[in-house]
Amino acid sequence: MAQLPKTLERYWLVAGIAALVAIYAAPLFIGVYSASLFRDAMLFGLMALGLDFLWGKTGVLSFGHATFFGTGAYGAAIISTQWGLDPAFGAWAGLVGGIILASAIALIVGYFLIYGGVRGSYFTIVTLALGVIAKFVVLGASDVTGGDAGLLGIPPLQFPTPSGLQALPEIGQYWFVISVVCFMVFAIWWACSGRYGILLKSIEDNERRAQALGYNTAAHLLAVFVGSAAIAALGGALYASSVGVVATDSIDLTLSTQAIIFVAIGGRGTLLGPVLAAVVVIWLEQKISSFDAQLWPLFMGGLFILAVFVFPDGVLKGLERLVTKVKGTAQ
Amino acid sequence: METAIPALLNAMTLISILMLVGLGLAITYGLMGIINMSHGDFITIGAFSLAMVQGFGGSFWLALAIAPLIGVVLGFCIEKSIIQFLYKRPLATIMATWGLSLILQQSLQLIFGAAPQKVTSPIAATVEIFGASYPAYRLLLIAMAVAIMAAVHLFIRKTSFGLDLRTVIQNPEMADALGIDTKRVFALAFAIGTGLAAIAGVLLAPMTAVIAQMGTNYLARSFFVVIVGGAGSVPGVVAGAGFVGGAETFLNYIIPATMSQALVLVLAIILVRFRPNGLVSR
Repeated sequence: MAQLPKTLERYWLVAGIAALVAIYAAPLFIGVYSASLFRDAMLFGLMALGLDFLWGKTGVLSFGHATFFGTGAYGAAIISTQWGLDPAFGAWAGLVGGIILASAIALIVGYFLIYGGVRGSYFTIVTLALGVIAKFVVLGASDVTGGDAGLLGIPPLQFPTPSGLQALPEIGQYWFVISVVCFMVFAIWWACSGRYGILLKSIEDNERRAQALGYNTAAHLLAVFVGSAAIAALGGALYASSVGVVATDSIDLTLSTQAIIFVAIGGRGTLLGPVLAAVVVIWLEQKISSFDAQLWPLFMGGLFILAVFVFPDGVLKGLERLVTKVKGTAQ
Repeated sequence: METAIPALLNAMTLISILMLVGLGLAITYGLMGIINMSHGDFITIGAFSLAMVQGFGGSFWLALAIAPLIGVVLGFCIEKSIIQFLYKRPLATIMATWGLSLILQQSLQLIFGAAPQKVTSPIAATVEIFGASYPAYRLLLIAMAVAIMAAVHLFIRKTSFGLDLRTVIQNPEMADALGIDTKRVFALAFAIGTGLAAIAGVLLAPMTAVIAQMGTNYLARSFFVVIVGGAGSVPGVVAGAGFVGGAETFLNYIIPATMSQALVLVLAIILVRFRPNGLVSR
């Protein structure tokens, strides 16, 4: 019996590598257009990963994570199209600038709130307001942000090739984005797999006790909040440069709540789960919306209620519990 | 003087609207601690009730009587089917009520269509106040808001149900032991909160576009009215609405409307950080 976990682990490893190969080879089979949809979904998955780092690992729920995704996207768009930079440099400057801008906002807001002792549902409402503020600012500063119309013509990222700096072809962009997302999932998983993950868990379970053990819990929470905002902003900035367009739907409250559903369905704290859930939910959204666009919000609302009552720790865990229950009654 | 009077009246109108939309939430969130993300949609339901009643030829006053009934019944059903299982899980309450909000909004849009509903104000006249002419309906709104605030304040402070409610909130176990049906009190209090939101919806409908998404505009603001004012008391709602509404009207004269709404929320967040118990603490 002692052998079982090891073999199981090996199976998982094989399955993981197979899945990775399948994802990288996907554009060759499903076509470049479908692959670009998948790529965009993975970038929303990056926002979900950011939220899961915060909500899944420390239990702090942000109801405004699209603020950071949108700040990354708008930051990248504004820097690369309006500062008069060379597009080859501007696209990268926008990516970095967008992430720095979002991190700075998270740092200020987070310092203000977390060091002020704002926690739990109170924190959630304040981040809800943050999202509303961001939307108002985008609509109000329409000469910079384009208002309702958004911003067009964001240059793609350029890479050194034998014939000089060039934008990658669609398939290259796809591989680049997939690699970034996989790397981020792995990096966060690795960071949280050891002592650090246990520390964050202890803050979630009982912050005062963690404090009594000598940990500066506010500093840790702030670091995670800024990190999670930066990951979401990376997703947003990459989204802006891959799609070439940014509009208010990338900073909207609706997107913030979608990030929550990705994490809830994918399984809070599993990191990979929310990314996959983002892809599945966005795929479902397109299938259902192509049938009747009016139905999707009803499904989304239903998903929220299901997530609370039927699978509080994600669809996979929920199914697993169901299977063990069925097996239990069968025996 | 000619510009000061309308400005003051505008501020009072906005404050009255905010008092009305915040009042229900002061009970559900402020007193009971339930984060009801579908609060805004009960405002919408109130406004749609007015549109329906008027569509069938009924009067504004009839709608003002029917809307709270719809709000109370629907709120009671929702408490019994969803909320009551989640009192120990605040984040789950946020998610479930947000899901509910999406379903309510989209159902209204599917049933009534996306175009704004037709509602008419009961009084179309304007009145002269100190030389400035002002819509009479807005003055009625201010008067109604004050009357409703006073009624709810007396209801919580002077009736036996108000006493039960305050007891249950202070110590549910002890209230149970004293023979108070805590489950019933919670359900009724939630229903009263949603009923008040529906009344707010009827009263503000003649002044806005009545569409299925209208409630979302009031969601963040009503939470901040309650938080800024101080959890769960009628004087708190007055203070919170005064702060948010006053600041917003003032800023509207200086900067564009979207920016002033954003700035007011920023100010509210800063205020809450330094006065976490609100302006009027219990």
